[in-house]
Amino acid sequence: MKERSKAGQAAVWQARLIMLVMINIAQLWILAATVDAALARHYSVLIPLVIASGVCFAITLSIIKWWRPTSRKKTSSGYIR
Amino acid sequence: MSKNLSDESDVQAATAPFQAEFPYERDEEAQVTRREFCNFLGLTSAALFVGAAGFAGKAALDARESLSSPAAPIEGAETLTPNSSLNFNYPTERDSAILIRTADGAYHAYGQKCTHLSCPVYYSRADQRLECPCHEGAFDAATGAVLYGPPPRALDVIEVETRDGQVWATGRNGG
Repeated sequence: MKERSKAGQAAVWQARLIMLVMINIAQLWILAATVDAALARHYSVLIPLVIASGVCFAITLSIIKWWRPTSRKKTSSGYIR
Repeated sequence: MSKNLSDESDVQAATAPFQAEFPYERDEEAQVTRREFCNFLGLTSAALFVGAAGFAGKAALDARESLSSPAAPIEGAETLTPNSSLNFNYPTERDSAILIRTADGAYHAYGQKCTHLSCPVYYSRADQRLECPCHEGAFDAATGAVLYGPPPRALDVIEVETRDGQVWATGRNGG
């Protein structure tokens, strides 16, 4: 049972890492599009691009700070490792 | 007995005397935990967000600055021969610009930054057009319009006029 729990935790960590890498790649694309739009003076798309990058950062923070494997119990002193 | 993670026993042997003064384990350097990697990705995400916001902010500031362009004389423009160019700064010392006297004797001036990725454009006398050496974009010498290449818009046009035999820059418009 303990082995299964460990395997599950490893899978969740792996999923977190993959999602973080994907979000970073998306943000790289957004930064490139922002540079392109700024140089082309397409000002109307700049704010949506910055908001999209901010949303990506918020998702990244939420993944790092709050996503935990469900098998980990929360106590008053934090999560059981 | 510690396990050797790298295959650098020769390097370790060679650096052994230094380890007393600089106890730096090469094997430990190669180990990055998942938590550390996650935090690194988080920092990267923050940096990319700040970069996008900074770039957008700078573009907005530049757009506001370009609205005010007081008239200024272009030194040395009178001596410019047809089919040649002269670099100058307008409207501020930080904004490089290029004045062209075409073969018919008319003056045209443009911001020197290529609209693709801001490389400086130069006047090609042989082809009588403005060219960007970075990604092979080209602009019309008489209008600043894109002839070919990756630039998404025309060059910034600087309006010029002749006052008492001297050439003046009188305003700058986005292309």
